[in-house]
Amino acid sequence: MGGLDVRMRRVECRHGRVEAVRGVDLDIAAGERVALTGTNGSGKTTLVRAVLGLHRRAGGDILVGGRDTATAAEWAWRRRACAWIPQKPATGRFPLPARELLAAGGAPEEAHRAAARLGVGALTRRPLHTLSGGQLQRMYLARAVGCVAAGAGVLLADEPTAALDFAGQEEAADVLLALPVTVVVVTHDRALAERCDRVLEMAAGRLREVR
Amino acid sequence: MTHLAAADLGQLLDLMPVRRAGLALLLAAIALPVVGVVIVGLDIMPVRFAMMHVALLGIAVGLLTGIDPMLCALVACALAGAGVAPLARTPDGLSGAMGLLMSLAIAAALLVLSVSGVNAQGAFALLWGSILSVGEGDLWLLGALAAVVPALFWWRRRDLALLLYDRELALASGVRVELLTLLLLVLVAVSVAGAIRLTGALLVDALTLLPALAARRLGTCLKTITAWAVGIGVAVNLTGFLVALSLDWPPGPVLVLTAGAVALAAHLVPERRTLPWRASASVPSPAPPSSP
Repeated sequence: MGGLDVRMRRVECRHGRVEAVRGVDLDIAAGERVALTGTNGSGKTTLVRAVLGLHRRAGGDILVGGRDTATAAEWAWRRRACAWIPQKPATGRFPLPARELLAAGGAPEEAHRAAARLGVGALTRRPLHTLSGGQLQRMYLARAVGCVAAGAGVLLADEPTAALDFAGQEEAADVLLALPVTVVVVTHDRALAERCDRVLEMAAGRLREVR
Repeated sequence: MTHLAAADLGQLLDLMPVRRAGLALLLAAIALPVVGVVIVGLDIMPVRFAMMHVALLGIAVGLLTGIDPMLCALVACALAGAGVAPLARTPDGLSGAMGLLMSLAIAAALLVLSVSGVNAQGAFALLWGSILSVGEGDLWLLGALAAVVPALFWWRRRDLALLLYDRELALASGVRVELLTLLLLVLVAVSVAGAIRLTGALLVDALTLLPALAARRLGTCLKTITAWAVGIGVAVNLTGFLVALSLDWPPGPVLVLTAGAVALAAHLVPERRTLPWRASASVPSPAPPSSP
């Protein structure tokens, strides 16, 4: 099993005056699959976004593959190394055809194959804003498969099955957990969490190990 | 009457300033609608007003210091464009920034003009161009813009499409978002300020925003939107210019009204041909995935 390890030390994130993430220490071994659960607003999404530098007001240390992000080049490496499925895929200010989303992962052929497997292969010429929530989520998952094929070693998936029907949830979980990388999945889906190696829970910004 | 108008038009087209104006419009209609697509995509439509005021501040500084006022205006616009780039981090940051920039720049310009004792009308007059007064140098500049802007756009089209769709997706896809946003804002600021000088403030809207607004409705991705914008820009501006000449009306308002009519017509076109997502529910789903 490939993948990169993830290490967090004293990670803090703020939304204005609110401390969304408090003193998080976490070690994830390469290739491990970790489910991140917890109530709404407990800081799960903020923590995942901090790994990618999308949440700017973050403190502490986050290392992926042992590498920090002190420079722009290191941030570029981090974003190549971590595939991301956002919680709320943007509906976009400007139309973007699904095939361009798939190509953005770096390995368009693999992403197209994954899209076909996930049942959205016929929709790749369509602009993303014309897709339903579930179709969009499948398209983002297919893009993430492309990112992994292009060399990403970690997949950060933020509620990747939330908009899917029951069969879709299972299909998506199969694709997600078959990837030969480290997987961190934020989820409220018990079945998906149970299939992971570890389950962590966030509450009021703090992290604890459940299983 | 029609024959008279046609004869007049023929004679007018023999005049060098009219020919230059026609060529300038054609060149501007290639470059500026592309800039318009970026303006619509970044949601910075008040940029023209902001740049007018920033340019006025630049002219005021130029008149005060004795440096070429138009050069100062362009530099001020480039700096203002670069200065607001960090505000693009939040979704509404840039559109708000344009309003702020407009107010601050006009206040600073009036202060500089007042302190230096420079006539405000004279400073404004430097900013106001007319399509019928473009010189050979202006034509070269517009020609360079017509080559460089679409070329840059084509070169970076994938990054641009991601950035204009969603900044965070672009970031996560490895696009150098900060640098690209900075470049786009400087390009927009300088193009708009330069176009105000060359064509007049009113015409800038006809050349940039209106074709882009019409194209936004007709195209389905960045590439087709841009192609529509340039096509509409060229067609509308040449048609409007000929109409203005034949009726002996001022070209600026006629061109804006023509482009506005096209933009309005584009919005009346029924919703796009693309099937809504519900239609795909009837598409037979592919074979179930084989187990790994």
